[in-house]
Amino acid sequence: MPIGIVGRLAILLLLPISAFAQKPDWFTTGTGMGVQKARIAVADFAPASPAAQPLGKEFSDVVRNDLEFSGIIEMVSLSMYPTQVPSQPSELNAQAWSDPPASTQAVAFGNLSANGNALAIQAWLYDVHNTAAPAMIAKIYRGDVTDAQVRLFAHQFADEIVMKLSGGVPGISTTQIAFASSRTGNKEIWVMDYDGANQHQLTSLRSIALTPRWSPDNSRIAFTCWAPGVRNVVSAQICMYSMITGKLISFPRWSGTNSSPSWSPDGSKIMFMSSMQGNPELYIADSNGAHPKRLTFSVGVNTSPAWNPKTGLQVAFVSDRSGNGHPQLYTMNADGTGAERIELQDAGYVIDPAWSPNGQLLAFSWQRPDGNYDIYAMDIVNHQLVQLTRDTGRNERPCWAPDGRHIVFESTRTGSRQIWSMLADGTQARPLTTQGSNESPSWSAPRQ
Amino acid sequence: MVQAAQQFADPSLKAKLVWSATLHAALGATILVSAFINGRGERWAGSPGDSISVGMVGSIPAIPLPKPVAVTPSRVVDETKGLYKDEPAPKVVPPVTAQPIPVFKDKKPPKIVPSRPSKVLEDPAPPPTNAVPYGGGGAPTLPYLAPGKPIVGSTQGDMSFPGSGGGEFGSKYSWYVDAVRNRIGSNWLQSMVDPSVRFAPRAVITFQILRDGTIANIQILQSSGNRSVDDSARRAIMSSSPVSKLPGDYSAPLVNVQFWFDFKR
Repeated sequence: MPIGIVGRLAILLLLPISAFAQKPDWFTTGTGMGVQKARIAVADFAPASPAAQPLGKEFSDVVRNDLEFSGIIEMVSLSMYPTQVPSQPSELNAQAWSDPPASTQAVAFGNLSANGNALAIQAWLYDVHNTAAPAMIAKIYRGDVTDAQVRLFAHQFADEIVMKLSGGVPGISTTQIAFASSRTGNKEIWVMDYDGANQHQLTSLRSIALTPRWSPDNSRIAFTCWAPGVRNVVSAQICMYSMITGKLISFPRWSGTNSSPSWSPDGSKIMFMSSMQGNPELYIADSNGAHPKRLTFSVGVNTSPAWNPKTGLQVAFVSDRSGNGHPQLYTMNADGTGAERIELQDAGYVIDPAWSPNGQLLAFSWQRPDGNYDIYAMDIVNHQLVQLTRDTGRNERPCWAPDGRHIVFESTRTGSRQIWSMLADGTQARPLTTQGSNESPSWSAPRQ
Repeated sequence: MVQAAQQFADPSLKAKLVWSATLHAALGATILVSAFINGRGERWAGSPGDSISVGMVGSIPAIPLPKPVAVTPSRVVDETKGLYKDEPAPKVVPPVTAQPIPVFKDKKPPKIVPSRPSKVLEDPAPPPTNAVPYGGGGAPTLPYLAPGKPIVGSTQGDMSFPGSGGGEFGSKYSWYVDAVRNRIGSNWLQSMVDPSVRFAPRAVITFQILRDGTIANIQILQSSGNRSVDDSARRAIMSSSPVSKLPGDYSAPLVNVQFWFDFKR
């Protein structure tokens, strides 16, 4: 773009002023292969009125629970807390929190007031080792006096803390998990918060609904449904649910079995398994179902595609084309070329591939010849394996959280099939569902 | 179908085979006898003298047959000149005569003068002990700001040394420094480094964090001496962008960072 002489003069005049006005500072730091956990305390949020007492307790508990499960924070034990609880920055005795036994690096505190139907939560996160500029977060949340609203604000505050302390990775406390549940008698699609709260039913098709998958923008859920297809023959089809309208969106039906949809990282395409031409093969179509195109041409079954979310160029899928009767993992380019088997030490059933958000780890469930179904994570570059579950029933269908630090999966370790979540190193496994039989979880993208 | 299958499954077939052979023999005899009986008698159309002569239809002129359809030229299209002009005749392009490539007068190949072998100059003096290997060092490329004052806000003077703390930013926003360190550290994966490398000297990389957390201007200040370690460190920084936004009460548009990497397997 051409700049006139006047413009150039103006820039020349402005440059030195702006250069002197703000001086960039610097810092130096480093790493030696490892990450330290930040030590954080969350003081009880002080209620401004007796009526707000339970809400204040709920807010503090939810924040503590979220931070405990974030994987990057070491929570200070409640018994180490100083007796004086701050509700305002002026009441904070930083020395008491930074000294042993609390020895915390930062403390979250605040107060909560409920006047009529107006909720106001003041929340701070203070660096107790820094007297010059201690405020890391200072927020006021305003909303309705409802339990759900308090929980949402607590999740948002926890996400804010996690984002600050992890260096810009959004927290997952406000994300949701979709899954298939049979607690109504039919397998329907349900949705819950990431911690298992607020479980509610989305579909009521009264047939079978399976394998929900969130679109990358959280606006839709694609899933497998049993519905009348070509010539009214009931078979597995791809169904599409809109989270915006709360209704099913029309999606084309094809002959044969159509299942296990998977979104491309940009949300413009869907890959799925279909036997519309006889053999179960992988097909790619636009997100509205237009222009289906066959991608695999092999003898065996090809199913469970998973798109590399970082590059969008690589797809992992399951196939038994090797002919030994065992489904194995394969990778191929997203246009169907270059299919290649992922070699593992011993054969067995290898199913349910799931990419980590950074595209470097592949989680899957694997039944080794001597053992149970367990979840493994593999570095896609050097094929190094980590076993994440062990000796605890069947563990299948892993799905990564958008922060890459958590995995949700289904497990039969309690006797019935339920949804569990854990940190991606296999620790802190905790159940999210208890009623009925629940399966095939899918973690949503971060809430915008 | 079920009965047939049961019969087929019956193992004693002897009686049925005898019956089958007898019936086949009887059928063959019947065919032979009937062929002998039917072959005798009068031939078709009787004796040769009684044959009928048949005339072709075309040889009888009395029958009024229709004339064959003659194709006549159509008169529907009027050949008189209409309102429209005729298409102009295509321009006659004079044929291009191919010009012969001019022949060089001198057809001999140019003479190649062989170059003289280069002289190897041996440096008699040994390299100094403090020599910097080629491409691996030299003067450190400091974050360039106001001339003559490379690092503004530094309490360490003009030069910064790795691990020597930091400027005011590091003490004021230590939580931010920790967060950036953890983020980059978590993105620095062993699998990105050549598996044969067990240990590498410290690599130091400088970069800038802009207001919105974007990482810019990544430069290697001090190489670890191993390309794959340097690349993995640079990649760890790139994949961490953007980090969290700069603290709200920090007024400058960016912060300069020196980041060191110690690799050990």
